[in-house]
Amino acid sequence: MSLPSVSTLSKWMPGGGRNVGLLVTLVLGLLLISLFSPQYLSLDNGLVVALQISFVGIASLGTASLIIGGNVDLSIGSQYALCAVSAAMLAKELPVPLAWIAGILLGATLGLINGLMVWRINISPIIITLGTLTIYRGIALRITNGFGVRGVPKSFSWFGQAKFLDIPLPIWILVAFALVAHLILHYTTQGRHLFAFGGNKQAAEAAGINGRRLVLASFALNGALVGTSAVLAASRFGTAAPTFGNGFELDVIAAVILGGVAFTGGEGSITGVVLAVILLGVINSGLISTGIDPHYAQVVKGAALVIAVTLDQLTQEQQERHRKKLAFQERFPTA
Amino acid sequence: MSDPTRTRSDAQPVVRAAGVTKYFGGVRALENVSLDLIPGEIVALVGDNGAGKSTLVKILSGIYQPDEGNIWLGETEVRQLDPGRAREFGIETVYQQLFLCDNLGAAANVMLGREPVRARFGPLRFIDNKRSVNEARKHIAELGIELDNMIAPVRRLSGGQRQAIAIARSTVNAHRLIQFDEPTAALGVRQTRATLDLIQRVAARGVAVIMISHNLDDVFAVAHRIVALRLGRISLNTPLDQTTREQVVACMTGVSFGKEAS
Repeated sequence: MSLPSVSTLSKWMPGGGRNVGLLVTLVLGLLLISLFSPQYLSLDNGLVVALQISFVGIASLGTASLIIGGNVDLSIGSQYALCAVSAAMLAKELPVPLAWIAGILLGATLGLINGLMVWRINISPIIITLGTLTIYRGIALRITNGFGVRGVPKSFSWFGQAKFLDIPLPIWILVAFALVAHLILHYTTQGRHLFAFGGNKQAAEAAGINGRRLVLASFALNGALVGTSAVLAASRFGTAAPTFGNGFELDVIAAVILGGVAFTGGEGSITGVVLAVILLGVINSGLISTGIDPHYAQVVKGAALVIAVTLDQLTQEQQERHRKKLAFQERFPTA
Repeated sequence: MSDPTRTRSDAQPVVRAAGVTKYFGGVRALENVSLDLIPGEIVALVGDNGAGKSTLVKILSGIYQPDEGNIWLGETEVRQLDPGRAREFGIETVYQQLFLCDNLGAAANVMLGREPVRARFGPLRFIDNKRSVNEARKHIAELGIELDNMIAPVRRLSGGQRQAIAIARSTVNAHRLIQFDEPTAALGVRQTRATLDLIQRVAARGVAVIMISHNLDDVFAVAHRIVALRLGRISLNTPLDQTTREQVVACMTGVSFGKEAS
C-alpha cells in the first residue's frame, strides 16, 4: 500500500501544504508523547485537553477573521478580563442568563469601539488596540479594585460547566463556531470580501465593497467571540479576576499565525487555525504529562511558530522567483 | 485598416462632457472642456504631465465634480456625478496600478463585488462558485484570452494575464464607457500589443473607450479620434486620419516643429 504524496494531500486539504504540515506535526507529536506517557492518548484526557483549548480556540476564530481582513486587535486579553469580571459582577445583580449575555455583548461593544477608532483614525490598528489594551485592563482593575469578584451565585457556573453527551459545553461551542466561521469565510460573499479587503484594500473598494462595514463587523464579531470565551471561563471558575487573560492575546495570535493566517492579511483558513490551536494545546499538555519541565512548553511553542513562519517566507520567496522568471520569459520569449 | 466606427461619427454620444471647468484651489486644471464619447469609438487622450488628462478621467468616473459645466449620461444631464452613479450607468476605469487582489484567483477578481449568489441565510450570501468561474471565464474569453486556472491566486500569473484579468473585470460592468489610464506604461512589447488588441475588442463590442497614453505609437495603432489637452484646454480634437504626429506633438507641447508634412 502506498501513501498519498504530500503534494496530493495538499491539493485535497483545504488550506494546502500548511495544513498538511500541521496535521503531520500533530500526529507525530501525539505518537511521541504517547511513547513517554501511554495514558495521554485516552478519551478522558482528550476531553481535558479539548476543554483547555476551547477558550483560546473560540477567540482565535474571530482574530483569524480580523487578521485575514488586514486588521488586528491586541486588546483581546483585556477585553477578556473586562467581560469576565463584568459578567461575574452583574450575576450578583441580574438574572444569571442576562449576566452571561451582557458579558458577550460587552465584548462586541469593546471590539466595535476599537473598530470605529481604527476606521476613523488612520493609524495602525496595532497602536490603537495597544492603547485600548491598557484602557480596558485599567477599567477591569478599577471596577474590581484589583480583587477577584466575590459572592457570585452558584447558578452562574452552569454555562461553563454544562455537558451534553458527556462533552463540556465550551467544546461544543468551539466546534459549532468553527464550522460557522469556516462557512462564512470560505463560502459567502462576506468572507470573500474580507479576503479581498485584506489582500488589497484599494482594489476591494474600487470594486464597490463597503470597507467600513467589513472592518466594524469583524472587530465587533471578534469582540463577541472574546466575550463568549471570557464568560465561559468565568462561569467555569464560578468567578473572575481582573488579571484574567494576561497574555491571552499572545496565545491567540500565535495560534492564528501558526495556523497559516498571514499577518499582512488576505491569507488563511479556519482549518489551519483549528489545527494550530489543537497542536499548541497538545504541546502544552503533552510536555506536562511526560514529566518534562513545563517551562519548556513555552520554548517549544515559540519555536514552532518561528519555524512555521520561516517555512512560509521561504515558500513565498520561491514563488516570487518563479513569477519573475515567468514575467521575464513573457517579455523575452526567446531567452 | 478598416474602421467600423467612422460611420458612427454622427451616432448619439453615450457620455458627454459639456463645458467642464475644474479648479484645485487657485489652479485651473480644466477649462471649458467639451467632449462627446460615442459607442465603439476609441478616443486617445494625450497631453503633457499636468495637462488635465487624469482630472478629466476622474470627473467622468464621478470621483471629482466639475466646478462649471455638466456631464451628460445619454440623454440625462447630471449635475453631481458620483462614483456609484457612474458605475451604475456602466462607466469603469482601468488604472495603471491594476487594482487586483493578488491573493484571490482570476474568477474571484473578475467577479469581485458582484458574485453570483446560490443561497441566502439571513445576511449571509453563499457564492455560486461554479457560476462565478463560468461567468469570469466567459468575460476573459470575450477578450480573446485563454486562462487555464481560474482559482490560483493571480500573483502567480504573468503581467499580460493580470492585465487581461483587470480589463475583464472592468468590462463586466462597463457596457457604456471604459477608461484606460496609461494601460501599457508598465508592459513589454508583446504585452503591449496584446493589451491594445484587448482595447480594440472592447470597443468593437460597442463600448466607448478613452485611453490615456504617452506613447504615440500606441495612440496611432488603435485610436479613432485623438484629443490633446494642454494646460487644461483641448488643443486638438480630430479623427486620427486627419492629423499627423507632428501636429499632435505640437498641440501637446505648444511648440511647433516646423510645417506638417503634406
